Amino acid sequence: MLERLKLAWVVARKDLLLEFRTRTAILSAVVFTALVLTVFNFGRDPTAVPTIDLAPSILWVTFTFAAMLALNRAFALELENHALEGLLVSPLSRTSLYWGKLIANLLFVTIVEAVGLPLFVLFFDVPVWHVLLPLVGVIALATVGFVAVGTLFSAMVIRTRFAELMLPVLVLPFLILPVAWAVQVTARLLAGRPLAEVAWWLRLLGAYDIVFVTLSTLLFPHTVDE
Amino acid sequence: MPETFPHNAGYMIAAYTVAAVILVAYALSLYRRTRGL
Amino acid sequence: MTLARKGRWTTLVGLVLLAAVYVRALAFTPIERTQGPAQKIYYIHVPAAIWTETAMILVGLASIFFLFLKDARLDSFAEASAEVGTAFATIVLTTGPIWGKPIWGTWWTWDARLTSTLFLFFLYIGYLLLRGAVADPGARARYAAVLGICGMVLVPFIHFSVYLFRTLHPMPIILKPSAPSLPGSMLATWGFSFAVFTVLYVGFVMQRYALARARQEVPHA
Repeated sequence: MLERLKLAWVVARKDLLLEFRTRTAILSAVVFTALVLTVFNFGRDPTAVPTIDLAPSILWVTFTFAAMLALNRAFALELENHALEGLLVSPLSRTSLYWGKLIANLLFVTIVEAVGLPLFVLFFDVPVWHVLLPLVGVIALATVGFVAVGTLFSAMVIRTRFAELMLPVLVLPFLILPVAWAVQVTARLLAGRPLAEVAWWLRLLGAYDIVFVTLSTLLFPHTVDE
Repeated sequence: MPETFPHNAGYMIAAYTVAAVILVAYALSLYRRTRGL
Repeated sequence: MTLARKGRWTTLVGLVLLAAVYVRALAFTPIERTQGPAQKIYYIHVPAAIWTETAMILVGLASIFFLFLKDARLDSFAEASAEVGTAFATIVLTTGPIWGKPIWGTWWTWDARLTSTLFLFFLYIGYLLLRGAVADPGARARYAAVLGICGMVLVPFIHFSVYLFRTLHPMPIILKPSAPSLPGSMLATWGFSFAVFTVLYVGFVMQRYALARARQEVPHA
Protein backbone atom coordinates (compact mmCIF):
# COMPACT_ATOMS: atom_id res chain seq x y z
CA MET A 1 0.00 0.00 0.00
CA LEU A 2 2.83 2.37 0.92
CA GLU A 3 4.63 1.35 -2.25
CA ARG A 4 1.52 2.22 -4.25
CA LEU A 5 1.29 5.62 -2.62
CA LYS A 6 4.93 6.34 -3.32
CA LEU A 7 4.43 5.41 -6.95
CA ALA A 8 1.30 7.54 -7.04
CA TRP A 9 3.30 10.47 -5.79
CA VAL A 10 5.85 9.89 -8.55
CA VAL A 11 3.07 10.11 -11.13
CA ALA A 12 1.65 13.20 -9.44
CA ARG A 13 5.04 14.88 -9.28
CA LYS A 14 5.56 14.31 -12.97
CA ASP A 15 2.25 15.92 -13.81
CA LEU A 16 2.78 18.81 -11.46
CA LEU A 17 6.32 19.43 -12.67
CA LEU A 18 5.10 19.53 -16.27
CA GLU A 19 2.36 21.85 -15.19
CA PHE A 20 4.59 24.25 -13.38
CA ARG A 21 7.21 24.40 -16.03
CA THR A 22 4.77 25.91 -18.46
CA ARG A 23 2.42 27.36 -15.87
CA THR A 24 -0.14 28.17 -18.53
CA ALA A 25 -2.92 25.94 -17.21
CA ILE A 26 -2.73 27.10 -13.64
CA LEU A 27 -2.48 30.74 -14.65
CA SER A 28 -5.46 30.39 -16.97
CA ALA A 29 -7.48 28.76 -14.21
CA VAL A 30 -6.60 31.47 -11.71
CA VAL A 31 -7.34 34.28 -14.14
CA PHE A 32 -10.57 32.56 -15.11
CA THR A 33 -11.60 32.35 -11.47
CA ALA A 34 -10.97 36.04 -11.00
CA LEU A 35 -12.95 36.80 -14.16
CA VAL A 36 -15.92 34.75 -13.05
CA LEU A 37 -15.99 36.44 -9.67
CA THR A 38 -15.82 39.83 -11.34
CA VAL A 39 -18.68 39.02 -13.68
CA PHE A 40 -20.80 37.88 -10.76
CA ASN A 41 -20.10 41.14 -9.05
CA PHE A 42 -21.39 43.16 -11.98
CA GLY A 43 -24.38 40.92 -12.34
CA ARG A 44 -25.90 41.62 -8.99
CA ASP A 45 -27.63 44.50 -7.30
CA PRO A 46 -26.47 44.60 -3.68
CA THR A 47 -29.40 46.72 -2.68
CA ALA A 48 -31.88 44.17 -3.96
CA VAL A 49 -30.30 40.94 -2.77
CA PRO A 50 -27.92 40.82 0.17
CA THR A 51 -24.55 39.43 -0.85
CA ILE A 52 -24.66 36.81 1.84
CA ASP A 53 -27.60 35.12 0.12
CA LEU A 54 -25.82 34.76 -3.19
CA ALA A 55 -22.33 34.24 -1.82
CA PRO A 56 -22.35 30.46 -1.39
CA SER A 57 -23.66 29.85 -4.91
CA ILE A 58 -21.17 32.28 -6.45
CA LEU A 59 -18.29 30.67 -4.64
CA TRP A 60 -19.23 27.18 -5.71
CA VAL A 61 -20.02 27.99 -9.32
CA THR A 62 -16.56 29.55 -9.54
CA PHE A 63 -14.92 26.52 -7.99
CA THR A 64 -16.69 24.07 -10.27
CA PHE A 65 -15.67 25.98 -13.39
CA ALA A 66 -12.08 25.90 -12.20
CA ALA A 67 -12.32 22.20 -11.45
CA MET A 68 -13.61 21.47 -14.96
CA LEU A 69 -10.64 23.31 -16.42
CA ALA A 70 -8.28 21.27 -14.28
CA LEU A 71 -9.86 17.97 -15.19
CA ASN A 72 -9.84 18.69 -18.86
CA ARG A 73 -6.09 19.09 -18.95
CA ALA A 74 -5.50 16.03 -16.79
CA PHE A 75 -5.23 13.45 -19.48
CA ALA A 76 -4.91 15.65 -22.50
CA LEU A 77 -1.30 16.10 -21.55
CA GLU A 78 -0.72 12.35 -21.73
CA LEU A 79 -2.50 11.90 -25.00
CA GLU A 80 -0.43 14.55 -26.72
CA ASN A 81 2.83 12.66 -26.74
CA HIS A 82 1.40 9.16 -26.46
CA ALA A 83 2.78 9.33 -22.97
CA LEU A 84 -0.22 7.38 -21.74
CA GLU A 85 0.83 4.25 -23.62
CA GLY A 86 4.27 4.59 -22.07
CA LEU A 87 2.78 4.76 -18.60
CA LEU A 88 0.58 1.75 -19.23
CA VAL A 89 3.40 -0.41 -20.52
CA SER A 90 5.54 0.43 -17.51
CA PRO A 91 5.22 -1.77 -14.43
CA LEU A 92 3.22 0.99 -12.76
CA SER A 93 0.07 -0.35 -11.13
CA ARG A 94 -3.25 1.03 -12.29
CA THR A 95 -4.06 2.08 -8.75
CA SER A 96 -0.90 4.16 -8.52
CA LEU A 97 -1.66 5.71 -11.87
CA TYR A 98 -5.16 6.72 -10.81
CA TRP A 99 -4.05 7.96 -7.42
CA GLY A 100 -1.23 9.91 -9.03
CA LYS A 101 -3.66 11.62 -11.39
CA LEU A 102 -6.07 12.22 -8.53
CA ILE A 103 -3.40 13.81 -6.35
CA ALA A 104 -2.18 16.00 -9.18
CA ASN A 105 -5.71 17.13 -10.03
CA LEU A 106 -6.54 17.77 -6.39
CA LEU A 107 -3.44 19.88 -5.90
CA PHE A 108 -4.18 21.80 -9.06
CA VAL A 109 -7.78 22.52 -8.05
CA THR A 110 -6.72 23.28 -4.47
CA ILE A 111 -4.31 25.94 -5.67
CA VAL A 112 -7.03 27.54 -7.75
CA GLU A 113 -9.44 27.40 -4.81
CA ALA A 114 -6.77 28.80 -2.48
CA VAL A 115 -6.54 31.82 -4.75
CA GLY A 116 -10.26 31.98 -5.39
CA LEU A 117 -11.37 32.03 -1.79
CA PRO A 118 -9.43 35.15 -0.74
CA LEU A 119 -10.50 36.87 -3.96
CA PHE A 120 -14.07 35.97 -3.17
CA VAL A 121 -13.75 37.38 0.35
CA LEU A 122 -12.19 40.50 -1.10
CA PHE A 123 -14.71 41.12 -3.89
CA PHE A 124 -17.81 40.31 -1.92
CA ASP A 125 -16.76 41.47 1.51
CA VAL A 126 -17.89 38.26 3.13
CA PRO A 127 -16.62 37.56 6.65
CA VAL A 128 -15.14 34.08 6.80
CA TRP A 129 -12.51 34.21 9.53
CA HIS A 130 -14.76 32.88 12.24
CA VAL A 131 -15.69 29.83 10.18
CA LEU A 132 -12.50 29.42 8.20
CA LEU A 133 -11.69 25.94 9.42
CA PRO A 134 -15.08 24.32 8.73
CA LEU A 135 -15.30 26.24 5.48
CA VAL A 136 -11.97 24.91 4.28
CA GLY A 137 -13.13 21.50 5.47
CA VAL A 138 -16.28 21.50 3.40
CA ILE A 139 -14.43 22.84 0.38
CA ALA A 140 -11.92 20.01 0.72
CA LEU A 141 -14.60 17.35 1.13
CA ALA A 142 -16.64 18.45 -1.86
CA THR A 143 -13.55 18.91 -4.04
CA VAL A 144 -12.27 15.41 -3.35
CA GLY A 145 -15.68 14.02 -4.28
CA PHE A 146 -16.08 15.48 -7.71
CA VAL A 147 -12.39 15.43 -8.63
CA ALA A 148 -12.31 11.68 -7.89
CA VAL A 149 -15.14 11.02 -10.33
CA GLY A 150 -13.86 13.59 -12.80
CA THR A 151 -10.40 12.00 -12.87
CA LEU A 152 -11.97 8.63 -13.62
CA PHE A 153 -14.13 10.03 -16.40
CA SER A 154 -11.38 12.11 -17.97
CA ALA A 155 -9.55 8.86 -18.66
CA MET A 156 -12.55 7.74 -20.70
CA VAL A 157 -13.43 10.88 -22.56
CA ILE A 158 -10.05 11.58 -24.08
CA ARG A 159 -10.69 8.77 -26.51
CA THR A 160 -14.11 10.02 -27.47
CA ARG A 161 -15.14 12.61 -29.99
CA PHE A 162 -15.87 16.02 -28.49
CA ALA A 163 -13.84 15.17 -25.42
CA GLU A 164 -13.98 18.65 -23.91
CA LEU A 165 -17.75 18.65 -24.18
CA MET A 166 -18.24 15.08 -22.97
CA LEU A 167 -16.48 15.51 -19.65
CA PRO A 168 -18.77 18.18 -18.17
CA VAL A 169 -21.84 16.34 -19.46
CA LEU A 170 -20.81 13.05 -17.87
CA VAL A 171 -19.56 14.56 -14.62
CA LEU A 172 -22.60 16.83 -14.16
CA PRO A 173 -24.78 14.65 -11.88
CA PHE A 174 -21.73 13.62 -9.85
CA LEU A 175 -20.73 17.24 -9.50
CA ILE A 176 -24.10 18.81 -8.70
CA LEU A 177 -24.77 16.61 -5.72
CA PRO A 178 -21.65 17.29 -3.60
CA VAL A 179 -21.67 20.93 -4.67
CA ALA A 180 -25.33 21.29 -3.69
CA TRP A 181 -24.50 19.92 -0.24
CA ALA A 182 -21.45 22.13 0.01
CA VAL A 183 -23.53 25.19 -0.88
CA GLN A 184 -25.96 24.30 1.91
CA VAL A 185 -23.13 23.97 4.39
CA THR A 186 -21.40 27.14 3.19
CA ALA A 187 -24.61 29.12 3.45
CA ARG A 188 -25.16 27.97 6.99
CA LEU A 189 -21.57 28.57 8.00
CA LEU A 190 -21.56 32.10 6.60
CA ALA A 191 -24.85 32.78 8.36
CA GLY A 192 -23.29 31.80 11.64
CA ARG A 193 -25.39 28.71 12.22
CA PRO A 194 -24.08 26.16 14.74
CA LEU A 195 -21.93 23.38 13.35
CA ALA A 196 -24.37 20.72 14.53
CA GLU A 197 -26.80 21.86 11.86
CA VAL A 198 -24.42 20.98 9.05
CA ALA A 199 -23.22 17.71 10.54
CA TRP A 200 -25.52 15.62 8.37
CA TRP A 201 -24.27 17.13 5.13
CA LEU A 202 -20.66 16.81 6.18
CA ARG A 203 -21.20 13.13 6.92
CA LEU A 204 -22.89 12.71 3.56
CA LEU A 205 -19.96 14.43 1.84
CA GLY A 206 -17.53 12.22 3.73
CA ALA A 207 -19.44 9.09 2.75
CA TYR A 208 -19.59 10.28 -0.87
CA ASP A 209 -15.83 10.79 -0.91
CA ILE A 210 -15.04 7.39 0.54
CA VAL A 211 -17.46 5.61 -1.77
CA PHE A 212 -16.45 7.34 -4.97
CA VAL A 213 -12.70 7.38 -4.42
CA THR A 214 -12.88 3.65 -3.74
CA LEU A 215 -15.18 3.00 -6.68
CA SER A 216 -13.07 5.10 -9.04
CA THR A 217 -9.91 3.31 -7.94
CA LEU A 218 -11.59 -0.03 -8.63
CA LEU A 219 -13.04 1.02 -11.98
CA PHE A 220 -10.03 2.93 -13.31
CA PRO A 221 -8.26 -0.12 -14.76
CA HIS A 222 -11.26 -0.72 -17.01
CA THR A 223 -10.80 2.67 -18.59
CA VAL A 224 -7.24 2.08 -19.63
CA ASP A 225 -6.92 -1.66 -20.14
CA GLU A 226 -8.27 -3.82 -22.91
CA MET B 1 -73.13 15.40 -6.49
CA PRO B 2 -71.65 18.50 -4.81
CA GLU B 3 -68.89 19.94 -7.00
CA THR B 4 -66.32 20.45 -4.27
CA PHE B 5 -63.19 19.56 -6.23
CA PRO B 6 -61.04 21.96 -8.24
CA HIS B 7 -61.69 22.04 -11.97
CA ASN B 8 -58.33 21.04 -13.37
CA ALA B 9 -59.33 18.23 -15.72
CA GLY B 10 -57.51 20.03 -18.52
CA TYR B 11 -54.18 19.23 -16.89
CA MET B 12 -55.17 15.63 -16.49
CA ILE B 13 -56.02 15.34 -20.19
CA ALA B 14 -52.77 17.06 -21.12
CA ALA B 15 -50.63 14.76 -19.00
CA TYR B 16 -52.35 11.60 -20.16
CA THR B 17 -51.99 12.72 -23.77
CA VAL B 18 -48.30 13.56 -23.41
CA ALA B 19 -47.57 10.20 -21.77
CA ALA B 20 -49.47 8.32 -24.46
CA VAL B 21 -47.70 10.23 -27.22
CA ILE B 22 -44.27 9.45 -25.74
CA LEU B 23 -45.04 5.76 -25.29
CA VAL B 24 -46.57 5.31 -28.74
CA ALA B 25 -43.80 7.32 -30.40
CA TYR B 26 -41.15 5.21 -28.70
CA ALA B 27 -42.97 2.01 -29.60
CA LEU B 28 -43.12 3.13 -33.24
CA SER B 29 -39.43 4.08 -33.19
CA LEU B 30 -38.54 0.62 -31.91
CA TYR B 31 -40.86 -1.02 -34.43
CA ARG B 32 -39.20 0.78 -37.32
CA ARG B 33 -35.69 0.06 -36.09
CA THR B 34 -36.28 -3.64 -35.43
CA ARG B 35 -38.15 -4.37 -38.64
CA GLY B 36 -36.58 -7.42 -40.22
CA LEU B 37 -35.15 -8.69 -36.97
CA MET C 1 -40.48 -16.29 -33.00
CA THR C 2 -37.49 -14.03 -32.73
CA LEU C 3 -36.86 -11.96 -29.66
CA ALA C 4 -37.66 -8.77 -31.55
CA ARG C 5 -41.03 -10.13 -32.65
CA LYS C 6 -41.85 -11.31 -29.15
CA GLY C 7 -40.90 -7.86 -27.97
CA ARG C 8 -43.19 -6.23 -30.52
CA TRP C 9 -46.12 -8.40 -29.46
CA THR C 10 -45.41 -7.74 -25.80
CA THR C 11 -45.34 -4.03 -26.48
CA LEU C 12 -48.60 -4.22 -28.40
CA VAL C 13 -50.25 -6.05 -25.53
CA GLY C 14 -48.84 -3.43 -23.20
CA LEU C 15 -50.22 -0.58 -25.23
CA VAL C 16 -53.66 -2.16 -25.45
CA LEU C 17 -53.64 -2.69 -21.69
CA LEU C 18 -52.47 0.90 -21.30
CA ALA C 19 -55.62 1.99 -23.07
CA ALA C 20 -57.58 -0.04 -20.54
CA VAL C 21 -55.68 1.68 -17.72
CA TYR C 22 -56.56 5.03 -19.25
CA VAL C 23 -60.23 4.16 -19.39
CA ARG C 24 -60.23 2.86 -15.84
CA ALA C 25 -58.29 5.79 -14.46
CA LEU C 26 -60.15 8.51 -16.31
CA ALA C 27 -63.70 7.18 -16.21
CA PHE C 28 -63.98 4.59 -13.46
CA THR C 29 -61.75 5.82 -10.67
CA PRO C 30 -63.12 8.32 -8.18
CA ILE C 31 -61.91 11.89 -8.30
CA GLU C 32 -59.81 12.89 -5.34
CA ARG C 33 -61.66 15.65 -3.55
CA THR C 34 -58.88 18.07 -2.63
CA GLN C 35 -56.75 17.72 -5.74
CA GLY C 36 -59.43 17.20 -8.32
CA PRO C 37 -59.09 15.33 -11.59
CA ALA C 38 -55.43 16.36 -11.96
CA GLN C 39 -54.56 13.93 -9.17
CA LYS C 40 -55.15 11.12 -11.66
CA ILE C 41 -51.87 12.03 -13.34
CA TYR C 42 -50.42 10.13 -10.40
CA TYR C 43 -51.45 6.79 -11.96
CA ILE C 44 -49.16 7.40 -14.90
CA HIS C 45 -46.47 9.49 -13.24
CA VAL C 46 -45.54 7.18 -10.37
CA PRO C 47 -45.25 3.84 -12.21
CA ALA C 48 -43.13 5.59 -14.82
CA ALA C 49 -40.92 7.02 -12.06
CA ILE C 50 -40.47 3.63 -10.42
CA TRP C 51 -39.43 2.08 -13.70
CA THR C 52 -37.10 4.98 -14.52
CA GLU C 53 -35.17 4.23 -11.38
CA THR C 54 -35.40 0.45 -11.65
CA ALA C 55 -34.11 0.62 -15.21
CA MET C 56 -31.06 2.55 -13.97
CA ILE C 57 -30.38 0.02 -11.25
CA LEU C 58 -30.61 -2.74 -13.83
CA VAL C 59 -28.14 -0.86 -16.06
CA GLY C 60 -25.78 -0.72 -13.08
CA LEU C 61 -26.16 -4.40 -12.22
CA ALA C 62 -25.72 -5.49 -15.82
CA SER C 63 -22.62 -3.28 -15.99
CA ILE C 64 -21.06 -4.88 -12.93
CA PHE C 65 -21.68 -8.37 -14.30
CA PHE C 66 -20.36 -7.30 -17.67
CA LEU C 67 -17.05 -6.12 -16.24
CA PHE C 68 -16.61 -9.46 -14.50
CA LEU C 69 -17.97 -11.82 -17.12
CA LYS C 70 -17.20 -9.85 -20.31
CA ASP C 71 -20.42 -11.20 -21.86
CA ALA C 72 -21.54 -8.86 -24.65
CA ARG C 73 -25.17 -9.72 -23.99
CA LEU C 74 -24.95 -7.96 -20.64
CA ASP C 75 -23.68 -4.86 -22.40
CA SER C 76 -26.58 -5.04 -24.86
CA PHE C 77 -29.04 -5.34 -22.01
CA ALA C 78 -27.55 -2.29 -20.31
CA GLU C 79 -27.79 -0.36 -23.56
CA ALA C 80 -31.44 -1.36 -23.93
CA SER C 81 -32.42 -0.62 -20.36
CA ALA C 82 -30.77 2.79 -20.54
CA GLU C 83 -32.71 3.86 -23.62
CA VAL C 84 -36.02 2.61 -22.24
CA GLY C 85 -35.26 4.27 -18.91
CA THR C 86 -34.71 7.54 -20.72
CA ALA C 87 -38.13 7.26 -22.39
CA PHE C 88 -39.78 6.67 -19.03
CA ALA C 89 -37.82 9.53 -17.47
CA THR C 90 -39.23 11.80 -20.15
CA ILE C 91 -42.74 10.78 -19.14
CA VAL C 92 -42.02 11.56 -15.49
CA LEU C 93 -40.43 14.92 -16.28
CA THR C 94 -43.33 16.00 -18.50
CA THR C 95 -46.28 14.70 -16.48
CA GLY C 96 -44.67 15.95 -13.26
CA PRO C 97 -44.80 19.65 -14.06
CA ILE C 98 -48.24 19.27 -15.64
CA TRP C 99 -49.35 17.84 -12.32
CA GLY C 100 -47.40 20.33 -10.26
CA LYS C 101 -48.92 23.40 -11.85
CA PRO C 102 -52.52 22.92 -10.68
CA ILE C 103 -51.56 21.24 -7.40
CA TRP C 104 -48.56 23.23 -6.18
CA GLY C 105 -49.12 26.33 -8.29
CA THR C 106 -45.71 26.03 -9.92
CA TRP C 107 -44.38 24.14 -12.92
CA TRP C 108 -41.30 22.84 -11.20
CA THR C 109 -40.88 21.74 -7.60
CA TRP C 110 -37.76 20.26 -6.12
CA ASP C 111 -39.76 17.42 -4.65
CA ALA C 112 -38.28 13.98 -4.09
CA ARG C 113 -39.48 12.26 -7.20
CA LEU C 114 -38.95 15.03 -9.74
CA THR C 115 -35.47 15.86 -8.46
CA SER C 116 -34.36 12.23 -8.45
CA THR C 117 -35.76 11.68 -11.91
CA LEU C 118 -34.02 14.78 -13.20
CA PHE C 119 -30.71 13.42 -11.96
CA LEU C 120 -31.50 10.03 -13.48
CA PHE C 121 -32.31 11.78 -16.74
CA PHE C 122 -28.90 13.51 -16.75
CA LEU C 123 -27.25 10.16 -16.00
CA TYR C 124 -29.14 8.48 -18.83
CA ILE C 125 -28.33 11.21 -21.32
CA GLY C 126 -24.67 11.04 -20.34
CA TYR C 127 -24.72 7.28 -20.74
CA LEU C 128 -26.32 7.38 -24.16
CA LEU C 129 -24.01 10.17 -25.34
CA LEU C 130 -20.96 8.26 -24.16
CA ARG C 131 -22.07 5.17 -26.03
CA GLY C 132 -22.52 7.28 -29.13
CA ALA C 133 -19.14 8.94 -28.82
CA VAL C 134 -16.88 5.90 -28.53
CA ALA C 135 -16.01 4.26 -31.83
CA ASP C 136 -14.36 1.06 -30.66
CA PRO C 137 -17.02 -1.45 -29.51
CA GLY C 138 -14.82 -2.98 -26.81
CA ALA C 139 -13.99 0.39 -25.31
CA ARG C 140 -17.60 1.51 -25.67
CA ALA C 141 -18.87 -1.43 -23.63
CA ARG C 142 -16.25 -0.97 -20.92
CA TYR C 143 -16.68 2.78 -20.61
CA ALA C 144 -20.46 2.50 -20.57
CA ALA C 145 -20.19 -0.11 -17.84
CA VAL C 146 -18.00 2.18 -15.74
CA LEU C 147 -20.47 5.02 -16.13
CA GLY C 148 -23.43 2.73 -15.48
CA ILE C 149 -21.98 1.51 -12.20
CA CYS C 150 -21.17 5.05 -11.05
CA GLY C 151 -24.72 6.07 -11.95
CA MET C 152 -26.24 3.25 -9.97
CA VAL C 153 -24.07 4.07 -6.94
CA LEU C 154 -25.17 7.70 -7.15
CA VAL C 155 -28.85 6.76 -6.74
CA PRO C 156 -28.80 6.18 -2.94
CA PHE C 157 -26.96 9.48 -2.51
CA ILE C 158 -29.68 11.22 -4.49
CA HIS C 159 -32.27 9.71 -2.19
CA PHE C 160 -30.42 10.71 0.96
CA SER C 161 -30.00 14.20 -0.41
CA VAL C 162 -33.64 14.62 -1.12
CA TYR C 163 -34.57 13.19 2.27
CA LEU C 164 -32.23 15.66 3.99
CA PHE C 165 -33.61 18.53 2.02
CA ARG C 166 -37.17 17.55 2.81
CA THR C 167 -36.75 17.07 6.55
CA LEU C 168 -35.19 20.49 6.82
CA HIS C 169 -37.48 22.26 4.37
CA PRO C 170 -40.85 20.61 4.78
CA MET C 171 -42.98 20.96 1.71
CA PRO C 172 -46.28 22.76 2.26
CA ILE C 173 -48.33 19.75 3.19
CA ILE C 174 -51.70 20.86 1.96
CA LEU C 175 -51.79 17.75 -0.16
CA LYS C 176 -49.49 14.77 -0.15
CA PRO C 177 -49.20 13.66 -3.71
CA SER C 178 -46.17 11.54 -3.00
CA ALA C 179 -47.34 9.45 -0.06
CA PRO C 180 -50.35 7.44 -1.06
CA SER C 181 -52.65 5.99 1.47
CA LEU C 182 -55.01 5.21 -1.33
CA PRO C 183 -58.44 3.76 -0.82
CA GLY C 184 -59.21 0.47 -2.55
CA SER C 185 -60.38 1.54 -5.95
CA MET C 186 -57.54 4.00 -6.46
CA LEU C 187 -54.98 1.49 -5.26
CA ALA C 188 -56.29 -1.03 -7.76
CA THR C 189 -55.96 1.46 -10.61
CA TRP C 190 -52.44 2.28 -9.51
CA GLY C 191 -51.53 -1.41 -9.30
CA PHE C 192 -52.99 -2.08 -12.73
CA SER C 193 -51.04 0.83 -14.21
CA PHE C 194 -47.82 -0.35 -12.59
CA ALA C 195 -48.31 -3.83 -14.03
CA VAL C 196 -48.86 -2.37 -17.49
CA PHE C 197 -45.74 -0.21 -17.25
CA THR C 198 -43.85 -3.37 -16.33
CA VAL C 199 -45.15 -5.09 -19.45
CA LEU C 200 -44.15 -2.06 -21.52
CA TYR C 201 -40.66 -2.00 -20.02
CA VAL C 202 -40.20 -5.68 -20.84
CA GLY C 203 -41.54 -5.31 -24.37
CA PHE C 204 -39.40 -2.25 -25.08
CA VAL C 205 -36.25 -3.83 -23.67
CA MET C 206 -36.76 -7.02 -25.64
CA GLN C 207 -36.85 -5.08 -28.89
CA ARG C 208 -34.02 -2.73 -28.03
CA TYR C 209 -31.88 -5.62 -26.82
CA ALA C 210 -32.48 -7.48 -30.07
CA LEU C 211 -31.44 -4.36 -31.93
CA ALA C 212 -28.25 -4.00 -29.88
CA ARG C 213 -27.33 -7.66 -30.43
CA ALA C 214 -27.98 -7.37 -34.16
CA ARG C 215 -25.63 -4.38 -34.37
CA GLN C 216 -22.97 -6.35 -32.54
CA GLU C 217 -23.15 -9.20 -35.07
CA VAL C 218 -22.64 -6.90 -38.00
CA PRO C 219 -20.33 -4.13 -36.84
CA HIS C 220 -20.98 -1.09 -38.93
CA ALA C 221 -19.43 2.36 -38.98
